[in-house]
Amino acid sequence: MSHPLREKAAVSGIGETAYTRGTPKSALALQLEASLAAIADAGLNPRDIDGVVPYFPGGGIAEDFIANLGLPDLKLSLFVPMGGATCVAAIQSAAMAVATGVCNHVLIAVGRTGYSGARVSTRLQQFPQFALAAEFEAPIGMFAPAQLYAQGARRHMELYGTTARQFAEVAVVTRQHAILNGNVVMNKPLTVEEHHASRMISDPFRLFDCSLESDGGAAIVISRADRARDLRKPLVTIMGVAEGHPESPASIAQRPDLLEFGLVKSAPRAYAMAGVGPQDIDVAEIYDCFTFTVIRQLEILGFCKTGEGGPFVMDGRIGLGGALPLNTHGGLLSQGHVVGLNHAIELTRQLRGEAGRAQVKDAEVGLVTGYGDMGDGSIAILRRAA
Amino acid sequence: MSAAPIAAPAPERPLPTPTRESQPHWDGMREGRFLLQHCSGCGKVRHYPRPVCPHCFSMESEFKEASLGGAIHTWTVCHHPFNFFFKAAAPYIVALVDMDAGVRVNAPLRGVAEADLKIGKRVKMGFEPVNKEVTLPFFVSA
Repeated sequence: MSHPLREKAAVSGIGETAYTRGTPKSALALQLEASLAAIADAGLNPRDIDGVVPYFPGGGIAEDFIANLGLPDLKLSLFVPMGGATCVAAIQSAAMAVATGVCNHVLIAVGRTGYSGARVSTRLQQFPQFALAAEFEAPIGMFAPAQLYAQGARRHMELYGTTARQFAEVAVVTRQHAILNGNVVMNKPLTVEEHHASRMISDPFRLFDCSLESDGGAAIVISRADRARDLRKPLVTIMGVAEGHPESPASIAQRPDLLEFGLVKSAPRAYAMAGVGPQDIDVAEIYDCFTFTVIRQLEILGFCKTGEGGPFVMDGRIGLGGALPLNTHGGLLSQGHVVGLNHAIELTRQLRGEAGRAQVKDAEVGLVTGYGDMGDGSIAILRRAA
Repeated sequence: MSAAPIAAPAPERPLPTPTRESQPHWDGMREGRFLLQHCSGCGKVRHYPRPVCPHCFSMESEFKEASLGGAIHTWTVCHHPFNFFFKAAAPYIVALVDMDAGVRVNAPLRGVAEADLKIGKRVKMGFEPVNKEVTLPFFVSA
């Protein structure tokens, strides 16, 4: 029997601001600018929005959307507190809302001043989920995701022989894709040598293994599939979507296996719901807060076995024209950091055939992941509906 | 009238804020004892301290002194000081250790060269008082 949520909802609109380092705009203004763009892309009026999932903390809350967009009757206001897994997990919440008839059009929106506002080590202190890290790890010198996730990356290298050269491949290919996109922070080519020469942040992560601190906004509209069919853009439906939470969710240190992310639970559920497997995926937008995070997620997603993610990314496999083109927009590593909503936007573009020079030929089914908050993992599998 | 130059304030060390659950653990650290929370119902150890045993759901627990030995599970070498307090210490190794007591502890590893790091290497916890209330853990080679 088909899953009751399968293809009942669609991504009907996408919008983003310029991705920059430096802006006079507030995070809320960036979030609303992207929201207006996404609503216009869908061919809707802002007053059609009746559900909103703002990324939090940072940017606005539901009250800001009502006040700024004049929403006459907001029926659903949600936060999805999953860090980098928020945006894709929010697709599940939004799909549930429209499929059940609670809402018609739900807006998911991010506004971030990660460069011109508070930086990462300060921002994280706003997260209640980081309370354990603040009590037990910050005092001994571990604050930032680059440090907390580095220990998992190091263990993978020691157990499976994963190398810095393989990390570099993810960074270099992602940069090549960013240059094709144009709306990116990093628009110059990156070489393996430049990656290896970049300063060490937290071993094994060098500067170019780390995602950007940038300013920007992104938004998408999730609509009931039968309504989205009549809207402005080609129909892109949500075949499968899921969120997953790892053991010891607020402390990586105490997790029995540091490399078992929430995606271990959510990926099989999303594949089952969609009725597809890794062999059916034409393009993948993988949350890339760090190069290694991409490598490990590819293993969990079943594109290769555990321990084989390093060799998997080599030899052109993840570039345009390769067997699994990924992060075709430049990702968090090179386009900009809007908590991965840009990944969902890029996947929608690919499936609509709107990806320009980065278009994957005949892309019909793709997946997008979110990862964060110490290892939560979300996934959506989208399809260009005939 | 010339104003005295304003010195930048010294960066403050981030310190733990004990909770009602974790206070006994920190009290133990101050006394140079590694105290871990054990379920009074099923006896299982849990760390970091929290109100309910996830195995048997008992809310009763007691803190018992644990041994200080362990083996390296993994590590990182912190070069970029995300907090200015740690700028002078960088680069520093932080080892995540599988304690013999059955939990993990993340703490600085001292007196060991990067080249000598490996999974399974034996280490021992030490105690470093940072003020009257707070003592933090560190590791040395066993």
